[in-house]
Amino acid sequence: MTNQSAQLDRVFRALADPTRRAVIERLGVGPAAVSELALPFDMALPSFAQHLDVLEASGLVRSRKKGRVRTYRLAPRKLEAAETWMATQRAKWERRLDQLDDYLEQMKEEK
Amino acid sequence: MTSTHGIDPKLDLVFERVVSVPRELVWRAWTRPEHVKKWFTPAPWTTVECEIDLRPGGIFRTVMRSPEGKDFPNLGAYLEVVENERLVWTNALLPGFRPARVTSTCGDDSPNSEETGFLFTAEILLSPQDKGTRYTAIVRHGDEAGRAKHEAMGFHDGWSSALNQLVAHASTM
Repeated sequence: MTNQSAQLDRVFRALADPTRRAVIERLGVGPAAVSELALPFDMALPSFAQHLDVLEASGLVRSRKKGRVRTYRLAPRKLEAAETWMATQRAKWERRLDQLDDYLEQMKEEK
Repeated sequence: MTSTHGIDPKLDLVFERVVSVPRELVWRAWTRPEHVKKWFTPAPWTTVECEIDLRPGGIFRTVMRSPEGKDFPNLGAYLEVVENERLVWTNALLPGFRPARVTSTCGDDSPNSEETGFLFTAEILLSPQDKGTRYTAIVRHGDEAGRAKHEAMGFHDGWSSALNQLVAHASTM
């Protein structure tokens, strides 16, 4: 696996969880402190912090500590990478089927 | 003709097309190496080899060549073969139904096979429509990478407007 692929896997793994997606959605509105992010979830803080670690390791979010408060913000470039991967898969199949359709016309004429 | 198995929009890609050729011809295009080689790989990549043993457990092997001349082999096996109606194959199994490694990508595109290897099952359904053929291609994913990636597709489809908004917003932050 290439670096880029491993990185992409981390992004998708990070997105494959409802809590982490909810955090991403919340951060879309703007940066937030850990305590605020954790508020909607009925979850022990250490468990929640693990989710934040996964998100940060994937590069989807970044955090900064000021005094005792750690604030998270979205790093949108990685989200775009995930979107691009899927769009690429779809586009490749579309292209393949376009080629099939062209070829079928050719087969019909040759028949 | 519809799939006998469900489609999960989070995991599966579905393509439906109508072509003005009889389905025997569409079937031949999918099942004979000399035809498959002509269209199977998105240009400028080419399919330089194709091996087909058209029966359940039979081999479906292609070798795709990059524009730079590098070859990428893909290996899989057929699961269902119903002439002129249904063709199902997977890269999760090798010929003879032997379980495969995750990195095989037969039938997926190979341009980036090494980077994007994941398991899938492809199903092609043919039915007559007017004087032509309606065909449906379903690509199902299941392994962890596929699930995660398609989780992101659900993200892509269902949340795309929310996503665009949040990306747009985040860009201004």
